[in-house]
Parts: sequence; structure tokens; C-alpha cells
Amino acid sequence: MKSENRGQIRIIEAFLAVLIIFSSLAISANLATTQNTAEPNDLAYVGLQVLLKLDSDGRLGRCLDNRDWAGLRSSLNLLLPTGVSFNLTVYDGEMRQINEEIISNGGFNSQEIAFVNYVCVSQNQTFNYYVIYLYLAVAK
Amino acid sequence: MKSKAIFRANRSGQLLIVAALAIAILLSSTTMYVYELSGERQSTEDFFISDFILAVKQGSRNAVISALANASNGGEKTVLADDLDSLSQAYMRLNKRGIWRLSYTVLNDSHYDGGVWLSWGNGGLGVSSAYANFTLRVYDSTANITMSYTVNITTTITINGYYTSNGTEKTINLFCRVFNEGKSALAKNLTVFYENLGVWVPVNASNNLSVRDYGNGTYALSFNVSVPSEIVQVSVHAQDMRCILVKASIPCREG
Repeated sequence: MKSENRGQIRIIEAFLAVLIIFSSLAISANLATTQNTAEPNDLAYVGLQVLLKLDSDGRLGRCLDNRDWAGLRSSLNLLLPTGVSFNLTVYDGEMRQINEEIISNGGFNSQEIAFVNYVCVSQNQTFNYYVIYLYLAVAK
Repeated sequence: MKSKAIFRANRSGQLLIVAALAIAILLSSTTMYVYELSGERQSTEDFFISDFILAVKQGSRNAVISALANASNGGEKTVLADDLDSLSQAYMRLNKRGIWRLSYTVLNDSHYDGGVWLSWGNGGLGVSSAYANFTLRVYDSTANITMSYTVNITTTITINGYYTSNGTEKTINLFCRVFNEGKSALAKNLTVFYENLGVWVPVNASNNLSVRDYGNGTYALSFNVSVPSEIVQVSVHAQDMRCILVKASIPCREG
């Protein structure tokens, strides 16, 4: 190799090295971005976890027995992650809607809405069970 | 020396590419790892099913608590089977994700009748308990699961005490402990009775009733009675936070 061409070859080699590293970085970064998007299934999973948590000590059943919709709304607001909108409908065993007011924290403006169907049994002396439809979306 | 230096200078560019390739391989393996993680994340469905199973378990536990609260407060002992019938039908009707079948058997033995055992004896120990075995079968597009579990809800009360005489009056001191499934638990309310000439009389403020709540399911009770007999029969009725009623009584002697 001629000594006067050696400098140009080095520049090409360095350029190739930088290209390889940056292309790897670009692919990884792109994949990481894909991971961060919340899927409806994940949201449904979060919703189910929250309902289970509320039901673990009978609090959910008590709220439903006492028709304490405000308490239920506050509990969901507290337990769901920030930026998640919810809309909850409660039915009795005969599938009649029993919540006379909307249990929600705002409108849904997302295309991806997750849905959780939960059966809550009250610990009350009189056996009661409720069917809960919980809709969740990431607020945009 | 000079030729070695020239050789090093000639190869340094190639080393740069080799180093870049090594870094690229590292980055690619990181990328592969990220892919692996995303593959694992797709099994959220499995978590979903396991959480639904947890929800069914929670529901059946609540149903047993509800039935025991009912039976211990004067309801029929068949209430447990009736409630569990309704519950299993509800799960069959409502789960649209696949076929979810919840079957149960209530315990019948020397203690339990229809899955309910109420033992409110005179030895200072009272037990209210309900016991049921469940089998959950899940036939889903993603799962075919059969699992069995047991729900045993037991509220226990223990009391012991003595009295001290002050002339015609007796001051009765009682220690009462409440348990849920063997662990200390709080009582929602406590009612005390004493027996006078064959009649159970409720203890109230006129008996100078004082209750000391230790906050850990232990209660110290003190009250005055005017009973001529040397042994005073005392009974404590406790309702735990789940409204399950349990009673125990003891003969109190002078201490």
C-alpha cells in the first residue's frame, strides 16, 4: 500500500466501525421503544390485579353492598397507575346494572381499550355476588 | 524495530474494525436478550389465567365466610351448600373466556355438618368454622387446568377468668382472645352475659362494665354482679370483623 493512501483507508475503516456500532444501537433503541407501548392485555392484567387487591380483604364487596360508588372510584384512582382511565359497571347476579352513577375518572380517548370481567362475592351474611365490567385505557 | 512499528501501524485500522465488530456483537446479544424478554412478556396470558384462578379462589373464600356468618347468626346450616351452588353456577354462566367449572364438597364428619361446625361449649372455648373442598376445571384455548383447593374459615374465642368478692357483690375479671384461622384477630363487638338463678342476664353499664382492648385480639373485661352462688356462669358472645359469631362460657370461681 502506498503511504499517501494509508490515511484515506484509515478514515474509511473508522467510518465503517462507527457505522457498525451505530446501526446496532439504532436497532436496539427501536426495539426498546416497541417494548414501552402498553398493550391492552397488560392493562387488563393490571386491572385484574387491582380488583383482586381490593377484594382480598372484602373491601370491594363492602363497597358494592353499601353502594359506595365514590369510595370505589377513589380506591381505583389510588390503585391504578397514573394515566390510566377506567370505567366500571356493576351488575347483580341477574345481570341488572346496579350502579346508578358513572364510576369513571374521565373519558376514553384511546384506540386500545382493555376489558376485565370480575365476579365479586360479598362477605355479607346474605349471599350476594356482583359482576364487574372494568374498561381501561391509557389516557393520551 | 522500525519494521515492527510499520507492521503495527498497518494493522491498527483492521484492529479498529475487529473492535467495532466485537462491540456490535455485544450490542446484538443485548438485542437478542431484549427479544427474549419480549417473548416472555407474551406469556402475560398465563399470568392472566393464574390471576383468574386467584379470583375464583377469593370468591369461594368470600362465599364460605358469608355462609358461616349467616349460619353462626342463626341461619340454616345448609346455607353453605346453597351459596356454593349459586356461586358455581355463576362462574359457569359468566366466564366467556372458556369453560370454567367449579365443583365443591362440604365436609361432613363428627364435627362438621353440611360443612359448618359451631362448638360453643362451657369450657372457655368457642369455635365457629366452615370447611369446603373445591375443584376448579378450566378448559380454555390456552389452558387445560384442573386444580383442587380447600377453604377453611374458623373463628375461635377463648375466655378465662375469676371473681373477687366485695361483700354481696362480686367483681368478675375475664380475659378474652379472638382468633381468625388460628391468628389473633379483632372483634367487631363483644357481649357478656352472666347466669343468675337460671336466667342469662346481659352485662351493661349498670354492672360497671369496663373493656380494655389490647389491640391484638385480646380483651380484658371487668364487671360487678350480685349473684348468691359460689360459681358464676359467664358467657361471652363475640362477632369478628367478618360478622362471624362465636360464643364461649366458663364457670367463674373466686380467685
